[in-house]
Amino acid sequence: MNDAGPVLAVTGLGFSRSGRPVLRELDLALDAGRITLLTGHNGSGKSTLLRILAGLLPPDRGRWHIDGTPGSSWQEVRRSLLQRHCYLHQQPYLFDATVFDNIAYGLRRRRVPRREIAERVARALRHVSLEPLRDRPARALSGGEQQRVAIARAWVLRPRLMLLDEPVANMDKPARRRSIDLINRLAEHGIAVVVTSHDPQHGELRIRRHLHLYQGELSERRLRTEAASASH
Amino acid sequence: MESLGEAGIQALRLLLTGDPALWTIIGISFSVSLRAILIAAPVALLTAFALAYARFPGRRLLVALFNTALSIPAVVVGLTLYMLLSRAGPLGDWRLLFTQDAMIIGQILLSFPILVAMGHAAFQATDRRAWETALTLGASPWQALLTLIHEIRFGLMAALLAGFGRIIAEVGSSMMVGGNILNHTRNIPTAIALETSKGSFAQGIALGLVLLLLALILNLALLTLQGRGEVTA
Ligand SMILES: Nc1ncnc2c1ncn2[C@@H]1O[C@H](COP(=O)(O)OP(=O)(O)OP(=O)(O)O)[C@@H](O)[C@H]1O
Ligand SMILES: [Mg+2]
Repeated sequence: MNDAGPVLAVTGLGFSRSGRPVLRELDLALDAGRITLLTGHNGSGKSTLLRILAGLLPPDRGRWHIDGTPGSSWQEVRRSLLQRHCYLHQQPYLFDATVFDNIAYGLRRRRVPRREIAERVARALRHVSLEPLRDRPARALSGGEQQRVAIARAWVLRPRLMLLDEPVANMDKPARRRSIDLINRLAEHGIAVVVTSHDPQHGELRIRRHLHLYQGELSERRLRTEAASASH
Repeated sequence: MESLGEAGIQALRLLLTGDPALWTIIGISFSVSLRAILIAAPVALLTAFALAYARFPGRRLLVALFNTALSIPAVVVGLTLYMLLSRAGPLGDWRLLFTQDAMIIGQILLSFPILVAMGHAAFQATDRRAWETALTLGASPWQALLTLIHEIRFGLMAALLAGFGRIIAEVGSSMMVGGNILNHTRNIPTAIALETSKGSFAQGIALGLVLLLLALILNLALLTLQGRGEVTA
C-alpha cells in the first residue's frame, strides 16, 4: 500500500462536553500498517477520541489531513472519515440478521455487485475462521465470535484505519489470543489500527506505538522491548 | 323486530352467500382505512424517529402532546374536520365533505398519534450502537434509518396494526365527514349504526362479525409480533 505518509493527521483537536474540555489541542498522526495502543484512565476520553476519528462525533476544533489531503469543512472531513475508517464498539453491535448479511452490510450499501460480495464475504469469513457459522443468526453467537464477525465486517471494506475500543476486555484467554492474532493481521494488510485499553499489558499484540491520554492531552510512552513483549 | 337468534342466522347467511350490498360496504371500509394508514405511516414514522433521535427544544412536550392525542374521541376529530370542510368553512372550496377523501383525512388524523407514539417507543428502545454501526460501515443517514427500521420491524408493524385497528372500527369521524352515503361512503361502522337505528339487526350483526373477526386477526398478529420482538431483543 502507499507508504507516502500518515493515513490521518490531525492537529489542534479540541472537544468539550458540558463546558468541560475532554480533549485539548491534540496532535495525532497515524501510519498505515501500524498498531497504536491508546491507554488512559476510565473517563479520560479514549472512546470520545476514537468516535471523532471515525467521523461519528463532531469535534469543536481541529485541522485535518486525510491521506495527505487537507480537509476544509467538517462536512467534507466527516464524509471521508466515515468512508475510510471503521469504529468497533467494545461490545460490537451485530444486526438482527445472519453472519453473512452482517459482513455484507457495508458492501451492499456501496452497491458492490452480488457476485463480488459473495466472494469478499467468503474471504472475510475464512480470514476470521467463521465459515461454518455463515448462515447462523449473528445475535446467537458467543461474545468472542461476535467480535470476530464485527472485525470481518469492517475488514471486508478495506478501511484505511480501524479504531478498536477495548477489543479484548472481558475475554477469556483463547478468545483473547484469537482476537489479538486477528488484529495483528489487520496491520499486516496495511491498515492503521488504534486499540484502546486501560491496561498496557497486551501480550502478543504487535504494538508499534503507545500513546497515553491524560487530562485531555496525549503523550508518547516508551514501548517495552520487543523481547519483553514477545515473551509474554 | 326479529329475535337475536334469527338475526344471527340471517347474518351468517348474508356473509356466506356473498351478499353484494354487504361486501360493497366491507370493501369501502378496507379501501378507505388502508389508504389512510398508507399515507399516515411514512410521515408518522419519520416524526417518531426525529422525536427519538434528534435533540431540539420542545421535544418532550411534543411527545406528551402526541400521547394526549391518543385519547381524542373520533367524533371530536370528525366535528373539527366537518367545520373545516363544510361549505362555509375555511377549506369549503375543496368540496371534500361527504367524500371518501374526507373520511381518509379523518382517519389519517386519528391514526397519526398512535403511529407516532408507538413508533417513538420502538425507536427509543433501539440501541444507539445500531445507528453508529450503520454509519461507520459507510451507510448514508437514509440507509442507516432504513437499517434501524429493519432492526425494530416487529415493533413498527405492531404500531401499524394498532393504528389500523383504531380507524377500521371508528364511527364518529366517518359518519360526520363521510355522510354514510350508500355505495360511496358507507363503511362497516356507519352501516352498523344505521341498520341498528332502523331495527334491522341481521346486517348489523353480520358487519359486526366481520369487525370482530378482524380484531381477532389483528390481535393474534400483534401477539406473534410481540413474541418475535422478545426473542430478538
Ligand atoms: N454522552 C455524554 N454526555 C456527557 N458526557 C459524556 C458523554 N460521553 C462521554 N462523556 C464524558 O466525556 C469523558 C470521556 O468519556 P469517554 O467515554 O471518552 O472515556 P473513556 O476513556 O473511553 O472511558 P472508559 O475507559 O471508561 O471507556 C468522560 O468524562 C465522560 O463522562
Ligand atoms: Mg471508553
